[in-house]
Amino acid sequence: MIKNEELLTGIKDAFPIVLGYLPLGFAFGVLANQVGMTVFQAGLMSLMCFTGAGQYIAIGVMQAGGAIFTIIMANLLVNLRYLLFATSMVPHLKNVPPSLATLLSYGLTDETYAVAMTRYQNHEATASYMAGLNITSHIGWISSSLAGAILGTFISNTDKIGLNFALPAMYICLLVFVVGKRSDALVAGISATLCLLFGFIFPSTMANMSNIIIATMIAATLGVVIDERY
Amino acid sequence: MSDTSILLMIFGVSVVSLLPRMLPVAILSRWEFPQLLQKWLSFVAPAVLGGLAALSILAPKGFIHFSPSNLYLWACIPTFIVAIKTRSLFYTLLVGIITMALLYNFAGI
Repeated sequence: MIKNEELLTGIKDAFPIVLGYLPLGFAFGVLANQVGMTVFQAGLMSLMCFTGAGQYIAIGVMQAGGAIFTIIMANLLVNLRYLLFATSMVPHLKNVPPSLATLLSYGLTDETYAVAMTRYQNHEATASYMAGLNITSHIGWISSSLAGAILGTFISNTDKIGLNFALPAMYICLLVFVVGKRSDALVAGISATLCLLFGFIFPSTMANMSNIIIATMIAATLGVVIDERY
Repeated sequence: MSDTSILLMIFGVSVVSLLPRMLPVAILSRWEFPQLLQKWLSFVAPAVLGGLAALSILAPKGFIHFSPSNLYLWACIPTFIVAIKTRSLFYTLLVGIITMALLYNFAGI
Protein backbone atom coordinates (compact mmCIF):
# COMPACT_ATOMS: atom_id res chain seq x y z
CA MET A 1 0.00 0.00 0.00
CA ILE A 2 1.66 3.18 -1.18
CA LYS A 3 0.43 6.43 0.27
CA ASN A 4 1.31 9.03 -2.32
CA GLU A 5 1.28 12.01 -0.01
CA GLU A 6 3.61 10.32 2.48
CA LEU A 7 5.91 9.20 -0.32
CA LEU A 8 6.11 12.73 -1.72
CA THR A 9 6.79 14.22 1.71
CA GLY A 10 9.60 11.70 2.14
CA ILE A 11 11.08 12.61 -1.23
CA LYS A 12 10.80 16.31 -0.45
CA ASP A 13 12.41 15.87 2.98
CA ALA A 14 15.32 14.10 1.28
CA PHE A 15 16.29 17.11 -0.84
CA PRO A 16 18.43 18.85 1.79
CA ILE A 17 20.13 15.51 2.44
CA VAL A 18 20.87 15.02 -1.24
CA LEU A 19 22.28 18.55 -1.37
CA GLY A 20 24.63 17.63 1.46
CA TYR A 21 25.58 14.33 -0.17
CA LEU A 22 26.53 15.92 -3.48
CA PRO A 23 30.02 17.11 -2.48
CA LEU A 24 30.62 14.07 -0.23
CA GLY A 25 29.57 11.47 -2.79
CA PHE A 26 31.38 13.36 -5.51
CA ALA A 27 34.58 13.42 -3.49
CA PHE A 28 34.25 9.70 -2.83
CA GLY A 29 33.91 9.06 -6.57
CA VAL A 30 36.99 11.14 -7.34
CA LEU A 31 39.08 9.40 -4.67
CA ALA A 32 37.83 5.94 -5.64
CA ASN A 33 38.89 6.67 -9.18
CA GLN A 34 42.33 7.72 -7.97
CA VAL A 35 42.96 4.48 -6.05
CA GLY A 36 42.09 2.50 -9.15
CA MET A 37 38.43 1.62 -8.74
CA THR A 38 36.35 1.62 -11.89
CA VAL A 39 33.24 3.77 -12.25
CA PHE A 40 31.17 0.60 -11.87
CA GLN A 41 32.96 -0.43 -8.66
CA ALA A 42 32.58 3.03 -7.15
CA GLY A 43 28.87 3.05 -7.95
CA LEU A 44 28.46 -0.52 -6.68
CA MET A 45 30.11 0.37 -3.40
CA SER A 46 27.78 3.36 -2.90
CA LEU A 47 24.82 1.14 -3.76
CA MET A 48 25.79 -1.75 -1.47
CA CYS A 49 27.38 0.09 1.45
CA PHE A 50 25.89 3.60 1.77
CA THR A 51 28.36 4.58 4.48
CA GLY A 52 30.18 7.84 3.82
CA ALA A 53 32.76 7.54 6.59
CA GLY A 54 33.21 3.82 5.92
CA GLN A 55 33.79 4.31 2.21
CA TYR A 56 36.37 7.03 2.84
CA ILE A 57 38.15 4.69 5.23
CA ALA A 58 38.18 1.96 2.56
CA ILE A 59 39.83 4.38 0.13
CA GLY A 60 42.35 5.44 2.75
CA VAL A 61 43.34 1.88 3.59
CA MET A 62 43.55 0.93 -0.08
CA GLN A 63 45.80 3.91 -0.71
CA ALA A 64 48.07 2.81 2.12
CA GLY A 65 48.16 -0.70 0.69
CA GLY A 66 46.23 -2.17 3.61
CA ALA A 67 44.30 -5.42 3.75
CA ILE A 68 40.63 -6.11 3.07
CA PHE A 69 40.32 -7.40 6.63
CA THR A 70 41.44 -4.00 7.99
CA ILE A 71 38.85 -2.22 5.88
CA ILE A 72 36.06 -4.51 7.05
CA MET A 73 36.99 -4.30 10.75
CA ALA A 74 37.22 -0.50 10.59
CA ASN A 75 33.83 -0.42 8.91
CA LEU A 76 32.33 -2.64 11.57
CA LEU A 77 33.45 -0.10 14.19
CA VAL A 78 32.28 2.91 12.20
CA ASN A 79 28.85 1.40 11.64
CA LEU A 80 28.25 0.16 15.19
CA ARG A 81 26.48 3.40 16.04
CA TYR A 82 23.63 2.34 13.79
CA LEU A 83 22.75 -0.41 16.28
CA LEU A 84 21.85 2.41 18.62
CA PHE A 85 20.15 4.56 15.98
CA ALA A 86 18.06 1.70 14.63
CA THR A 87 17.04 0.54 18.11
CA SER A 88 15.89 4.03 19.07
CA MET A 89 13.80 4.20 15.90
CA VAL A 90 12.03 0.87 16.49
CA PRO A 91 9.36 2.21 18.93
CA HIS A 92 8.22 4.63 16.19
CA LEU A 93 7.78 1.93 13.58
CA LYS A 94 4.79 0.12 15.13
CA ASN A 95 2.58 0.64 12.09
CA VAL A 96 5.14 -0.39 9.51
CA PRO A 97 5.21 -4.13 8.69
CA PRO A 98 8.41 -5.48 10.30
CA SER A 99 9.81 -7.04 7.13
CA LEU A 100 9.30 -3.81 5.20
CA ALA A 101 10.74 -1.71 8.04
CA THR A 102 13.81 -3.95 8.07
CA LEU A 103 14.27 -3.69 4.33
CA LEU A 104 13.86 0.09 4.34
CA SER A 105 16.39 0.40 7.18
CA TYR A 106 19.00 -0.33 4.50
CA GLY A 107 18.81 3.42 3.93
CA LEU A 108 19.39 4.43 7.55
CA THR A 109 22.21 6.98 7.78
CA ASP A 110 23.09 9.81 10.17
CA GLU A 111 21.13 12.16 7.94
CA THR A 112 18.02 10.08 7.21
CA TYR A 113 17.91 9.14 10.90
CA ALA A 114 17.96 12.77 11.97
CA VAL A 115 15.30 13.84 9.48
CA ALA A 116 13.03 10.86 10.18
CA MET A 117 13.24 11.16 13.98
CA THR A 118 12.36 14.84 13.69
CA ARG A 119 9.27 13.96 11.66
CA TYR A 120 8.21 11.12 13.96
CA GLN A 121 7.96 13.57 16.86
CA ASN A 122 4.56 14.63 15.56
CA HIS A 123 3.77 12.35 12.63
CA GLU A 124 3.23 8.64 12.45
CA ALA A 125 5.95 6.68 10.64
CA THR A 126 4.82 5.06 7.41
CA ALA A 127 6.57 2.74 4.98
CA SER A 128 5.85 5.22 2.16
CA TYR A 129 7.56 8.06 3.99
CA MET A 130 10.57 5.87 4.86
CA ALA A 131 10.80 4.74 1.25
CA GLY A 132 10.60 8.29 -0.12
CA LEU A 133 13.20 9.61 2.31
CA ASN A 134 15.69 6.73 2.31
CA ILE A 135 15.58 5.75 -1.34
CA THR A 136 15.82 9.33 -2.61
CA SER A 137 18.79 9.96 -0.32
CA HIS A 138 20.43 6.73 -1.47
CA ILE A 139 19.92 7.63 -5.14
CA GLY A 140 21.52 11.01 -4.40
CA TRP A 141 24.50 9.24 -2.82
CA ILE A 142 24.93 6.78 -5.69
CA SER A 143 24.57 9.34 -8.46
CA SER A 144 26.96 11.83 -6.87
CA SER A 145 29.52 9.02 -6.42
CA LEU A 146 29.13 8.06 -10.07
CA ALA A 147 29.43 11.71 -11.13
CA GLY A 148 32.63 12.02 -9.10
CA ALA A 149 34.10 8.86 -10.56
CA ILE A 150 33.29 10.00 -14.10
CA LEU A 151 34.02 13.74 -13.93
CA GLY A 152 36.60 13.61 -11.16
CA THR A 153 39.40 15.08 -13.15
CA PHE A 154 37.50 18.17 -14.30
CA ILE A 155 35.98 19.70 -11.17
CA SER A 156 38.05 20.18 -8.08
CA ASN A 157 36.71 22.50 -5.43
CA THR A 158 33.12 22.41 -4.12
CA ASP A 159 34.21 24.36 -0.99
CA LYS A 160 34.12 27.53 -3.08
CA ILE A 161 30.34 27.40 -3.32
CA GLY A 162 29.83 26.63 0.36
CA LEU A 163 28.50 23.09 -0.17
CA ASN A 164 30.86 21.80 2.49
CA PHE A 165 28.59 23.48 5.01
CA ALA A 166 25.42 21.72 3.85
CA LEU A 167 25.68 18.84 6.34
CA PRO A 168 26.77 20.93 9.35
CA ALA A 169 23.87 23.33 8.62
CA MET A 170 21.51 20.39 8.46
CA TYR A 171 22.73 18.95 11.76
CA ILE A 172 22.32 22.36 13.40
CA CYS A 173 18.77 22.72 12.13
CA LEU A 174 17.73 19.17 13.06
CA LEU A 175 19.29 19.64 16.49
CA VAL A 176 17.03 22.67 16.96
CA PHE A 177 14.06 20.55 15.82
CA VAL A 178 14.63 17.56 18.13
CA VAL A 179 15.21 19.63 21.24
CA GLY A 180 11.73 19.84 22.70
CA LYS A 181 12.31 20.24 26.41
CA ARG A 182 15.02 21.53 28.66
CA SER A 183 16.38 18.05 29.38
CA ASP A 184 16.81 17.42 25.61
CA ALA A 185 18.93 20.57 25.32
CA LEU A 186 21.01 19.51 28.33
CA VAL A 187 21.54 16.04 26.87
CA ALA A 188 22.57 17.49 23.49
CA GLY A 189 25.02 19.86 25.20
CA ILE A 190 26.51 17.14 27.39
CA SER A 191 26.85 14.79 24.42
CA ALA A 192 28.49 17.48 22.28
CA THR A 193 30.99 18.29 25.03
CA LEU A 194 31.81 14.63 25.73
CA CYS A 195 32.14 13.91 22.02
CA LEU A 196 34.74 16.66 21.59
CA LEU A 197 36.47 15.74 24.83
CA PHE A 198 36.86 12.07 23.85
CA GLY A 199 37.93 13.08 20.37
CA PHE A 200 40.53 15.40 21.84
CA ILE A 201 41.94 12.94 24.40
CA PHE A 202 41.71 9.87 22.13
CA PRO A 203 42.05 11.11 18.53
CA SER A 204 41.60 7.57 17.20
CA THR A 205 37.95 7.63 18.33
CA MET A 206 37.36 10.45 15.82
CA ALA A 207 38.16 8.24 12.87
CA ASN A 208 35.88 5.36 13.83
CA MET A 209 33.27 7.65 15.42
CA SER A 210 33.18 5.59 18.61
CA ASN A 211 33.28 8.91 20.50
CA ILE A 212 29.70 9.52 19.33
CA ILE A 213 28.56 6.16 20.65
CA ILE A 214 30.16 6.63 24.06
CA ALA A 215 29.03 10.25 24.40
CA THR A 216 25.47 9.38 23.38
CA MET A 217 25.20 6.51 25.87
CA ILE A 218 26.48 8.61 28.77
CA ALA A 219 24.40 11.67 27.83
CA ALA A 220 21.17 9.66 27.38
CA THR A 221 21.71 8.00 30.75
CA LEU A 222 22.23 11.38 32.38
CA GLY A 223 19.11 12.55 30.55
CA VAL A 224 17.01 9.86 32.24
CA VAL A 225 18.45 10.84 35.63
CA ILE A 226 17.88 14.56 35.02
CA ASP A 227 14.35 13.96 33.76
CA GLU A 228 13.44 11.98 36.91
CA ARG A 229 14.65 14.76 39.18
CA TYR A 230 13.13 17.81 37.52
CA MET B 1 44.02 -4.32 -5.36
CA SER B 2 42.74 -6.75 -7.98
CA ASP B 3 39.17 -6.60 -9.26
CA THR B 4 38.24 -9.72 -7.30
CA SER B 5 39.67 -8.25 -4.09
CA ILE B 6 37.78 -5.01 -4.63
CA LEU B 7 34.49 -6.85 -5.12
CA LEU B 8 35.19 -8.98 -2.06
CA MET B 9 35.98 -5.83 -0.07
CA ILE B 10 32.74 -4.15 -1.21
CA PHE B 11 30.73 -7.22 -0.26
CA GLY B 12 32.36 -7.42 3.18
CA VAL B 13 31.84 -3.73 3.89
CA SER B 14 28.24 -4.08 2.74
CA VAL B 15 27.57 -6.82 5.29
CA VAL B 16 29.11 -4.99 8.27
CA SER B 17 27.52 -1.67 7.39
CA LEU B 18 24.01 -2.95 6.72
CA LEU B 19 23.65 -5.48 9.55
CA PRO B 20 23.79 -2.91 12.41
CA ARG B 21 21.02 -0.91 10.70
CA MET B 22 18.70 -3.75 9.81
CA LEU B 23 19.13 -6.29 12.62
CA PRO B 24 17.61 -4.22 15.47
CA VAL B 25 14.57 -3.43 13.35
CA ALA B 26 14.20 -7.07 12.32
CA ILE B 27 14.59 -8.49 15.83
CA LEU B 28 12.99 -5.85 18.05
CA SER B 29 9.95 -4.88 15.99
CA ARG B 30 7.53 -7.03 17.95
CA TRP B 31 9.01 -6.25 21.32
CA GLU B 32 7.35 -3.84 23.74
CA PHE B 33 10.09 -1.65 25.20
CA PRO B 34 10.01 -1.05 28.98
CA GLN B 35 9.17 2.54 29.98
CA LEU B 36 12.62 3.39 31.30
CA LEU B 37 14.32 2.12 28.15
CA GLN B 38 11.90 4.11 26.00
CA LYS B 39 12.81 7.22 27.91
CA TRP B 40 16.50 6.48 27.49
CA LEU B 41 16.04 5.90 23.76
CA SER B 42 14.13 9.18 23.46
CA PHE B 43 17.34 10.98 24.41
CA VAL B 44 19.42 9.22 21.77
CA ALA B 45 18.39 11.56 18.93
CA PRO B 46 19.22 14.84 20.77
CA ALA B 47 22.50 13.30 21.96
CA VAL B 48 23.50 12.03 18.52
CA LEU B 49 22.65 15.34 16.85
CA GLY B 50 24.47 17.30 19.54
CA GLY B 51 27.56 15.17 18.88
CA LEU B 52 27.29 15.30 15.10
CA ALA B 53 26.71 19.06 15.06
CA ALA B 54 29.64 19.72 17.40
CA LEU B 55 32.00 17.49 15.42
CA SER B 56 30.94 18.83 12.02
CA ILE B 57 31.64 22.39 13.19
CA LEU B 58 34.63 21.98 15.48
CA ALA B 59 36.29 19.08 13.66
CA PRO B 60 35.29 19.55 10.03
CA LYS B 61 38.38 17.79 8.70
CA GLY B 62 38.42 14.95 11.17
CA PHE B 63 40.54 16.57 13.85
CA ILE B 64 39.52 19.16 16.42
CA HIS B 65 40.11 22.68 15.16
CA PHE B 66 39.10 25.12 17.87
CA SER B 67 40.30 28.52 16.69
CA PRO B 68 38.99 31.75 15.12
CA SER B 69 40.43 30.61 11.78
CA ASN B 70 37.88 27.78 11.69
CA LEU B 71 35.32 29.16 9.22
CA TYR B 72 32.74 26.56 10.28
CA LEU B 73 32.66 28.17 13.71
CA TRP B 74 31.69 31.54 12.21
CA ALA B 75 29.24 30.11 9.71
CA CYS B 76 27.36 28.26 12.43
CA ILE B 77 26.33 31.50 14.19
CA PRO B 78 23.88 32.85 11.56
CA THR B 79 22.86 29.28 10.78
CA PHE B 80 21.82 28.64 14.37
CA ILE B 81 19.90 31.92 14.53
CA VAL B 82 18.00 31.20 11.31
CA ALA B 83 17.25 27.63 12.45
CA ILE B 84 15.75 28.87 15.72
CA LYS B 85 13.84 31.80 14.15
CA THR B 86 12.45 30.13 11.02
CA ARG B 87 12.42 26.44 12.01
CA SER B 88 12.86 25.78 8.31
CA LEU B 89 15.47 23.38 7.01
CA PHE B 90 15.46 25.07 3.62
CA TYR B 91 16.25 28.59 4.88
CA THR B 92 18.77 27.24 7.38
CA LEU B 93 20.65 25.41 4.64
CA LEU B 94 20.45 28.41 2.30
CA VAL B 95 21.86 30.83 4.88
CA GLY B 96 24.49 28.32 6.03
CA ILE B 97 25.76 27.59 2.55
CA ILE B 98 25.79 31.23 1.41
CA THR B 99 27.55 32.34 4.61
CA MET B 100 30.17 29.63 4.12
CA ALA B 101 30.70 30.54 0.46
CA LEU B 102 31.15 34.23 1.37
CA LEU B 103 33.55 33.41 4.22
CA TYR B 104 35.56 31.02 2.07
CA ASN B 105 35.96 33.45 -0.81
CA PHE B 106 36.25 36.76 1.04
CA ALA B 107 37.25 36.24 4.66
CA GLY B 108 40.84 35.59 3.68
CA ILE B 109 41.69 33.58 6.78
